[in-house]
Amino acid sequence: MNDSTPFAVETAGLTKLYGDKAAVEDLCLQIPVGSTFGFIGPNGAGKSTTIKMLMGMVRRSSGTAMVLGHDAANRAEAVKHRVGYVPELHYIYRWMRVGEAVAFCRALYPTWNDGVCRELINLFDLDVNKKVKHLSKGMVAKLALLLAIAHEPELLILDEPTSGLDPLIREEFLDGVLRTICERSQTVLFSSHTLSDVQRLADTVGIINEGRLISHCSTDELITGTKRIRAVLHDGCTPGESPDGTVWQRFQRREWLLTVRGFSQNTLAFLKEKYPVDNIEVMDLGLEDVFKDVIRGRRASA
Amino acid sequence: MLYCISVLAQYIIAGVGDVSVDPSSPVPIFRQIAGYVRRAVAAGVYRPGEMIPSLRAMALELTVNPNTVQRAYEELEREGLIHARKGRGMFVTTHGATFARDKSEEAVLAAFEQGILAGQDANMPGERIRACFEQAWKHTRLETKTDRTRQT
Repeated sequence: MNDSTPFAVETAGLTKLYGDKAAVEDLCLQIPVGSTFGFIGPNGAGKSTTIKMLMGMVRRSSGTAMVLGHDAANRAEAVKHRVGYVPELHYIYRWMRVGEAVAFCRALYPTWNDGVCRELINLFDLDVNKKVKHLSKGMVAKLALLLAIAHEPELLILDEPTSGLDPLIREEFLDGVLRTICERSQTVLFSSHTLSDVQRLADTVGIINEGRLISHCSTDELITGTKRIRAVLHDGCTPGESPDGTVWQRFQRREWLLTVRGFSQNTLAFLKEKYPVDNIEVMDLGLEDVFKDVIRGRRASA
Repeated sequence: MLYCISVLAQYIIAGVGDVSVDPSSPVPIFRQIAGYVRRAVAAGVYRPGEMIPSLRAMALELTVNPNTVQRAYEELEREGLIHARKGRGMFVTTHGATFARDKSEEAVLAAFEQGILAGQDANMPGERIRACFEQAWKHTRLETKTDRTRQT
């Protein structure tokens, strides 16, 4: 047993091949204990496959994956008890009543906390007598979260937890996740397409595209360090060499738009020195635009 | 120039404002939180010697990661606006309100500088940049006035 690892999740060279096509390729990921990691990427980029490998549900082709200091492929019971998981598709038996589903999971986990469970039932306004098949989509999502966190796991893994939920349920759901982050210094890994949720909850963000991790840094660093530049070039001038950190660019008429990571005054100095510019402007970007530009840039250069 | 006006508008029009964050804004959430606390301290919502909300309370109120709130508080601590009392929480310093107002002034100044630079980049002469300022001034004052009349 090695419980003193500083990382709740640690992978190296993690690869999953389906035939000769890589769903996940050479993934190196380190998620420190106590942090909240937002995993974003286009559909089919490899988020779910990665999560399933971490849960030991999909066998990896090569590389290593450690969860709470143990090899994820072994699916040791001791580790499973310390992890909470909300899959993309909820697996709760539809014929059970809410109370029965709770009792069923309670029996599986030695660390189940009845106090937390009651608190969440109230917070989520769940009716224990209702049958699971009669619950709305939002209610099922909240029940799935409850079942994943009432045993007070050290690591919570959520696979697109808020997709398809209305804004009010989403807020309640995030509130539930946040409570567990606040109460204990729990580690959370969640994948999402709702970038505003990622910006709210995640302190670090990983961007995956075509099976490869193309960015992994703090959320604030990603947003403050990435800028869009609009340079208007003199007539007859076309862009050549772009500044360091350019992730995406477009040139139309005289207008050169560039999105640059690791922006600094040097970026502007470079442009002003190399090109005759009429006008140069620097704009801030939100996470959504940063994400789109990073992915668009990859696609354009591929 | 637009950017400059929007930043100015944040400081001039916004009072203390709601405690809420806008995750789609390009302003990182920790800055938004720091800005909120600064405005609240400058306006006397929290007075010197008083405690500001705990990390947990603020995180739950705004539905944001407590680490993000902590980052905001660290920034405010560096500015000398608040200080930690061991095991109790964050308190507004004796000169907290003054610091908060100075910091707001700095932000206004920076926004104006941005505007002036934008004007210079566009090869505008000084008096035209000044005219822009006058125009923006009238414009925003008009907007605040109509906002207030609408509210009452």
